[in-house]
Amino acid sequence: MAISLWQELLQKFQEGLENSIEKISERDIDTIPGAKERLIEKLEQIKRYLPRNDGEYIIKIIDDSIQKSFFPRINNISEAFIKILDARTPEQDYIIQELINGFISSEGKVIASSKGGPILDNLVEAFKKRRDFKIVDFQYYAMFGNPNKPRKYVINRLKKIVEFLGLESDCYVKTDVGTGEDKEITYFSFPKEINQILEGRYIETLETGETYVTDKFDKMVFIAFFLAKVSVERKTLDKFKINGICAIFALIMIISFMPKLQIDEKNPINRDPHFDAQSMSVIPKSWMNSDILSELLPPLIQVMAFRLGGNDWLDKIELTEKKIKLHLQAQFLLKDVNKWVLGNMCRVEIPIFIEISAILNEITVGMERERN
Amino acid sequence: MVRETWSDVLAYYLNYVTNLQPVFEQTQRFILDLKPESLLNREIFEDKLKRENKRSVSKVKAISEFLAMFRTEIFEFIWNYVEETKDYFDLIDIQDYIIDFLIESIKALKTLESITNPDEDDLRKTLLYQSVHIIQEKIFPQGQSLQDIYDKLIDQSISYYEVQRHLLKPAAYYREDLEKSEIPGFTPNTYKILNQITSLFNLDPNYYEMPEDNAIDIPVILPEQVFDPFIEQIANKERTAITRILKRMELRIIDGIFIGPTERFLELTEPHNYITRKSVSEDKERIIPQFSNETLVLLYLAKTSYRRGFLSRELINWISSNIAFLIYKGILKVIVSDDNIFYPIFVDLKVEEKILPYLMKLACFENYLRMDRTKIRDSVQYRKQIFNSLGSKNEYIESIIKDIAEALHPLIENLNI
Repeated sequence: MAISLWQELLQKFQEGLENSIEKISERDIDTIPGAKERLIEKLEQIKRYLPRNDGEYIIKIIDDSIQKSFFPRINNISEAFIKILDARTPEQDYIIQELINGFISSEGKVIASSKGGPILDNLVEAFKKRRDFKIVDFQYYAMFGNPNKPRKYVINRLKKIVEFLGLESDCYVKTDVGTGEDKEITYFSFPKEINQILEGRYIETLETGETYVTDKFDKMVFIAFFLAKVSVERKTLDKFKINGICAIFALIMIISFMPKLQIDEKNPINRDPHFDAQSMSVIPKSWMNSDILSELLPPLIQVMAFRLGGNDWLDKIELTEKKIKLHLQAQFLLKDVNKWVLGNMCRVEIPIFIEISAILNEITVGMERERN
Repeated sequence: MVRETWSDVLAYYLNYVTNLQPVFEQTQRFILDLKPESLLNREIFEDKLKRENKRSVSKVKAISEFLAMFRTEIFEFIWNYVEETKDYFDLIDIQDYIIDFLIESIKALKTLESITNPDEDDLRKTLLYQSVHIIQEKIFPQGQSLQDIYDKLIDQSISYYEVQRHLLKPAAYYREDLEKSEIPGFTPNTYKILNQITSLFNLDPNYYEMPEDNAIDIPVILPEQVFDPFIEQIANKERTAITRILKRMELRIIDGIFIGPTERFLELTEPHNYITRKSVSEDKERIIPQFSNETLVLLYLAKTSYRRGFLSRELINWISSNIAFLIYKGILKVIVSDDNIFYPIFVDLKVEEKILPYLMKLACFENYLRMDRTKIRDSVQYRKQIFNSLGSKNEYIESIIKDIAEALHPLIENLNI
């Protein structure tokens, strides 16, 4: 009987796990006693249980945790935007930021990479300066020099920001107080329905009817909006964005699967002030080795692609050696939620990791009980 | 570039600070003289504004224009405040509140004015000296040796690591030709390389005999591994770049093949547990790396601080602007209360860009940061860009400002302004 594409992907995922287990067994990268064994045990469990029932549990993890928080499967942009905003926590913001920073799009890089990061800060400032929640071209140009003679790159940057965020524009003519000449002013604002959401959350109205933008309004709002836009328009995304999104989500899954390790009381990590046992867990580190990650990551990226965007997305996942290397960049993204402390890999226990690992635990405990 | 003297820079700095003060004082007089019910009469405000702004004062045009704008904003804030609160408080109380806000603002400007003095008398007691040193100790310490600085940075990193890292990541990127000895800040790529080196050392390093001592095996990684996720093969350009970056963290290329630590690296990091020694045979010892996120970043910062006379133009501008910003915000935090209606004026870019550039230069002098102030850019566009990027949005910056304000509080009280 011919097997379906989905089953084929699940099989590849199992094979990837098998190869990883083999490679981990051959080497001794983890220094904490028992870490290697715990990791192998966990990967064995995942291999055994996760693909069961036609991948029911993988689907549950992708749909109930990852899609719900970062990439809602909704056609309405306002609803998607609300869902992403609701999932925001300071730590999870890092993940969203890395999604943009590392991969999503070349446009994304222009606006939100570390190099362009401040532009996003400027944009927040520009929006905050006005009480009507609009940004005026003249005002934006003034932030980078003489507004009457804006430099070409400043004009282009504003254009890209407008495209990136899908802002709507409108013009009006104003007489310049200095020269007495008429001047065409363009202002940009979010679409109406998005404005309503923002007003509810970030704009406070005073008794006098005066409005002001609160401090909670930060660049992550723009990034969340961008993500909402991308998730709604998922059918039209280019190859680059699709590969990036799937790699990051697959990495989130792998990190969540990692078992917490018991640390010996005498281990110096316990005395290191950068380690907070309440919010961080030491996890094995050998999975991060590129030999192992290149077995683990590609099949999971394919699984993710198929689930998020069906055949269209899966066709766009490139698994040439070069692309796999690119995917491996993911290992040092998410650097702020994965910290090195005295040579130990520490996972910062943010809600998405807790949620996924709880689902996994529930599955494995149930299945183990059944098995026994 | 013209080398401006201390008195030149101080005069520029005081120029706007001292010009702003009378505007607040005149407004205070005006509000004091008003009958409370006149607060509701906008015409009175507008008339006063018209008269003041038209008054012919023999001042430079730029300053009088700036002051007119400044005065208009103050009046606008007062007017809005009255409108907002008239239904909740008696007008006489509103008048009192406005006067309190004005008194606070005048005090803030007077404090900014007395931050230091032209002859630097009682240098160690001046607010500028004290505040620069308070900030330096936390994020950019001076010290007798690299070890001294690195130790201080690690100690402070528990509370201020994010700010320390922020100090190495300039927000503006201007093309500049670096002198061989100059240290630049992190570009996004340098930062990625640093992360990659940390991971590779922690994951699975090779071990190689230390050139200086064959009884010790040191951990080494391959330069190709560092660039692996980015490019297929590395060429001369990458080799040169990595060699320079490594040098700034006391790492080196060994035998043209491996990246490994220098002897100094071992001395610097061992006290912090970033390496351990393991005996592998009777006469052989192995150095095992156990780096934290802070290990290399702070070593880079320590080197930057130790060699602060040799920093790139970009980095000097970035570090000095951040420190000037922290001093300015720290002082404001002590004096101007959060609900002061005039606070937004102080942190408006238009005001900041008149004060901070000179504060940056003052902070660079010999007795303070000891950085090359001639490299501070005077271009208006550059200033706008850099001040727009100063960490008002960064929660870690907000938290260090709070700590600085706490430390400055008794000093400002002692000024008796």
